[in-house]
Amino acid sequence: MIGNRTAANNEHSFLAEARRRIDRALAFLLIVLMGANVLNVLWQVFTRFVLKNPSSYTEELARFLLIWVALLGASYAMGRKLHLAIDIVVERLKGKPRALAELASLFLIFLFACVVMVIGGARLVFVTLTLDQTSAALQIKLGYLYLVLPLSGLLIMFYTAAYFAETLSGRREASDGTR
Amino acid sequence: MELVDVLVLVLSFGFLIFLGVPISFSIGIATLATMLISIQTLPALTTVAQRMATGLDSFALLAIPFFILSGQLMNRGGIARRLIDFAKVIFGMLPGGLALVNIMAAMLFGAISGSAVAATAAIGGFMTPMMKKEGYDGGYSAAVNITSSTMGLVIPPSNILIVYSLASGGTVSIAALFLAGYLPGIIVGVALMVVAAAVALRNKYPTAPPPKLKEAVLRFLDALPSLFLIVVVMGGIVAGTFTATEASAIAVLYTFILSVIIYREVKLRELPGVLLDSACTTGIVMLLIATSMGMSWIMSYEQIPQNVSEALVSLTESKVMILLIINLVLLLVGIFMDITPAVLIFTPIFLPVVMELGIDPIHFGIVIVLNLCIGLCTPPVGTVLFVGCGVSETSITRVIRPLIPLFIAMIVALLFVTFIPEISLFLPRLFGYG
Repeated sequence: MIGNRTAANNEHSFLAEARRRIDRALAFLLIVLMGANVLNVLWQVFTRFVLKNPSSYTEELARFLLIWVALLGASYAMGRKLHLAIDIVVERLKGKPRALAELASLFLIFLFACVVMVIGGARLVFVTLTLDQTSAALQIKLGYLYLVLPLSGLLIMFYTAAYFAETLSGRREASDGTR
Repeated sequence: MELVDVLVLVLSFGFLIFLGVPISFSIGIATLATMLISIQTLPALTTVAQRMATGLDSFALLAIPFFILSGQLMNRGGIARRLIDFAKVIFGMLPGGLALVNIMAAMLFGAISGSAVAATAAIGGFMTPMMKKEGYDGGYSAAVNITSSTMGLVIPPSNILIVYSLASGGTVSIAALFLAGYLPGIIVGVALMVVAAAVALRNKYPTAPPPKLKEAVLRFLDALPSLFLIVVVMGGIVAGTFTATEASAIAVLYTFILSVIIYREVKLRELPGVLLDSACTTGIVMLLIATSMGMSWIMSYEQIPQNVSEALVSLTESKVMILLIINLVLLLVGIFMDITPAVLIFTPIFLPVVMELGIDPIHFGIVIVLNLCIGLCTPPVGTVLFVGCGVSETSITRVIRPLIPLFIAMIVALLFVTFIPEISLFLPRLFGYG
């Protein structure tokens, strides 16, 4: 018994540690990408109005950075459970039915991230890479742009799995009261 | 239209929502389930993934994260207090002075920050203690603050109008929508002020003495840099000098200079946190948009808008009745759903219906947003209501009673805006849109 509990604790602290690291790396990446995009569009305005020689690549770069910030930001928001949900029904439930509803909800998100974002996204990356499609201005292979789909899909899978484990083991304090 | 497909879409979406699955994922999963019936599995997965990525691939959308970012900077930048002091000069001496000040400051802050929730928190945080000290009822103060804060979503620049422009399939220009928002937003504001003043007169709330001229000028000069942001952003968009996205980047630069360098209320080391918060909010909104793009594609593939249109027309031929029905449906939707997903889901359904009736899509955008603003203040799902009760430390039950007359004012204003299209269309036409 005691051995089992220590193993479980270790598992949790390992998970918690992994989560902290992923959180920090993701936060760092988001700050850099968001900041870079602000500077990028300001540069576009500057080249157009001051240098009178509009930059040819800023608009494309802005769109690509937006897709990355959007999907990685969505993963980060999943880690914080900030996505808008209508919880009037679930809130009325107590005990086991509520835990079951939460587990089902997490499982469905996990499944969506897995089949659409990771499998569908990876296939999209693969197809665009074989077709050798490149972007007009930056000459970036579009396949690399779409890499953010499987990447954010994996992150969402990780976060939902972590919450799933937490709900199963009844440790709910971290998941409550965020919004 | 395959009935089975539509049933799968609607039922799975409803089931997921009530299970408490986040709305963005509910939309994505319901879309996927519907596609899986009609196309092969692997192509279906790739199609949904592709729709998500291409749905976000838009330069116009980029205005949303930038306005979020400038709103966050404003939120911490001491701008709310300056707007309140300025509004006090104008309205402080009227009956229910502080309530009117709250309404005007919340509308101004909501307009320049583009966020109703931020306006509720920022303005309410300052105003409620002041109002309580002067003997105003806590529930009344919160109710005034909550309703007026939503008007920032109608008065430009406004992210939700950008979302509407996107959901309309790009048929409506963002600049035209922005221009259209001014008069309806101001009309609601005036309606709220009239009700607030009437309640204040009945309860004999105190009024402030008229301000001295010197103080008035000083307050105005202090608020001027904040107000000037509206001129920079809107002026550039309306004149066609820059796009909404470029304007939003300029808004970020402007609020950065204002809050970090001039007012010095935001420290440089706070910036990474501000960027992260904005990226996170962006992720929430953008995931909704990404999955909605897939859903609106499948809805038009199944010809759902045409069918809704036929059903509505078979009920009644009258344009007035159809608009009333749509308003009623939207009010109900707004009670349960946040404004962004509601706009994303219901615009593709209702817009073709009303366009067939000869209603201008610019006008309809204002009607949708104004209507859903009312829903932001109602339980059970009302983000603005919750935040407003939180900052003023009042319970929802104490806010409901004083909210009712303000709701009626908003609904009356909504009816005016719905049935007099000129209110929305006057300014866009003046500037040569539509």
